[in-house]
Amino acid sequence: MREGAASKYVTRFIMYAFLIIVSLISVFPLYWAFISAFNNTKEILGGRMIPSVYLIENLKNLFAQQNVGRAMLNSFGTSILQVFLALAISSIAGYGFEIYHDKYKDGLMSILMLAMMVPFVAVLVPLFQFFSKLKLLNTWAGFFLPGMATPFLIMYFRNSARNFPKDTIEAARIDGLNEFQIFIKMFIPMMQPTYASAATITFMNAWNSYLWPKVIMQTADSTTMPMLVSNLMAGYVIDYGVVMAGVTLCSLPTIIIFFLLQKSFTNAVAGAVK
Amino acid sequence: MKKLVSLLLALCLLLTVAGAMAAEDGKITIWTWDPNFNIKSMQIAKELYAKINPDVEIVIEEVLSEDIETRVTTAATSNTIDTLPDIMLCQDNSFQKMVMFYPEVYANLTGKYDYEGFPAGKLAYSTVDGQNHGIPFDAGTVVATYRTDILEQAGYTIADLTDIDWDRFIEIGKDVKAKTGLPMLTGQAGSIDMVLIMMQSCGASMFNEDGSVNFVNNEACKMVLEYYKTMCELGVFAEVNSWDAYCGTLANGSCVGTINGCWILGTVMAVPEYAGKWALTNMPKLPGVEGATHYSNNGGSSWALVNGTDIDLALDFMKMYRNVEFYNEILPTTSAIGTWAGAKEAPNYAADNEYYGAPIFATIVEYTAHVPANQTGAYYYDARGALGTAVTNYMLGGDLMSELQAAEDETNFNMGF
Repeated sequence: MREGAASKYVTRFIMYAFLIIVSLISVFPLYWAFISAFNNTKEILGGRMIPSVYLIENLKNLFAQQNVGRAMLNSFGTSILQVFLALAISSIAGYGFEIYHDKYKDGLMSILMLAMMVPFVAVLVPLFQFFSKLKLLNTWAGFFLPGMATPFLIMYFRNSARNFPKDTIEAARIDGLNEFQIFIKMFIPMMQPTYASAATITFMNAWNSYLWPKVIMQTADSTTMPMLVSNLMAGYVIDYGVVMAGVTLCSLPTIIIFFLLQKSFTNAVAGAVK
Repeated sequence: MKKLVSLLLALCLLLTVAGAMAAEDGKITIWTWDPNFNIKSMQIAKELYAKINPDVEIVIEEVLSEDIETRVTTAATSNTIDTLPDIMLCQDNSFQKMVMFYPEVYANLTGKYDYEGFPAGKLAYSTVDGQNHGIPFDAGTVVATYRTDILEQAGYTIADLTDIDWDRFIEIGKDVKAKTGLPMLTGQAGSIDMVLIMMQSCGASMFNEDGSVNFVNNEACKMVLEYYKTMCELGVFAEVNSWDAYCGTLANGSCVGTINGCWILGTVMAVPEYAGKWALTNMPKLPGVEGATHYSNNGGSSWALVNGTDIDLALDFMKMYRNVEFYNEILPTTSAIGTWAGAKEAPNYAADNEYYGAPIFATIVEYTAHVPANQTGAYYYDARGALGTAVTNYMLGGDLMSELQAAEDETNFNMGF
């Protein structure tokens, strides 16, 4: 009995030790970037791991070199619009594919799933041609339109709709609700964790996207935060303190959004696994 | 919900209309990177040009070099060249590749721009089939710069490292290492900047003039690799893990000096406490090799003009890059060193640099004139990658000839042979 208990403690100790080490490894880059925002280039290159006194100077230089306010506005504006549109369109599509499914719609869904396999770089050129002909270069619309409905999100909402009780739909129909009302008044409130997690994923993808914005957003006024951060890395002499201040500023919104929606996100992911 | 959807659609429409690009006459759009260097230089050119032609609107956009290449590729393949600017900066090592792949984008400037005073070595980077497509800007002229206080500890001066060959350099390096414990040079492991600098110093390239890859029969390349390995084994050259670590060795005094493109001086001079403790000279040359010099190049960039745009206006503006006043003004604010020989007439070039206490910029322009030309071609980065692997394997004990053969085969494969 004692041996069994001891073995249990040893297993648990090893497990926790492993998890702590992995957690530290995961958190370390973030810690390093955050701490480095307080240091100057010489201290960063020297491997200083504790904060120094250069945060204000780094931020001052960052704001002097780059239009951070404009980049923040562009990133927030495009990301939020993309989240709203993506959630609205993908959830209706996912709901429709599941609730009204027949063999034709299932076939269409399979084609959509195939689209997930096509890397974005393969459609970059025709997409750019299309958007430039529509005069959508350097516009928020040009940024978020390609991401407003993704096969992944449609599949995600379709899988969630499977857990939506069919009896509830029948009962609602008997009570006189039309199909749109059922979606708005019953599906959306019940699927809040799914919406929260989809919003988190979409926001992070939109905020961090780089390849598409860098070809479609060509002027200084349309720069996004990831583009701004990569601009800081250009040149013969790199001010690493300024770079790290930029990286920290760029990471904060996604971290805040994730922590705000963390509970719903884990609920939805756990639900999806079930 | 309906209201929300309508609002979003209206907003999209508004943003679309508001942000639509407008191509205007009398306007020059420029893409370049680095606010403290290229962009600042261009802003000075813009201010000077405004005195000559105040009606022209010049817009400078910050775009990374790799992003410029991505946008050129996207625009050329989607037949939307009109989305490109009038002028864009291009890394010298990529210039020939971009012109060869997208000739419809890059304007042929032969006979349209006055190239007198630009060194042949620099012009070669943007020349394809004898036609010039670029206007040279900054020099990547190689300088050797050393900490004089450390050299003094070992009983040497900067004169002992001037006009020497690599045999003598290794001899001094061994002695300095024994007396101070420091390597003479450092470099990023896996990067072959030093190897290519040494090769170009005697006019050798990774490619023959006909564009074919040249490793196996490249005697200079073999000799350089042998010297490089010897220096690493003796601790005269210390390889470090990353570019940041390399910059760190210059900032924290864990090496005697560096041999690199002159743009490295910005990193060197970023440490105020070492002011007055650095000196600059030419690099060692390969002994017994015909055409070997003390001069080479690493980095640098040139301006390209885009076909289909207002070339005449852009060319008129680019006359600024043959203007002594322009080079005089950019030097103190950006440390950008031009390749145009006329630049050395600028008073700031002749003046002593405060950090070095010597007229280093005039010296660099002088070095630039002697840099041998280099063949880069369309597959420069493929060859560079293959040679990098060969160098790493050779350093780990691989056979030199087998590694060079493998590098040549890999590059040929990438070139489609």
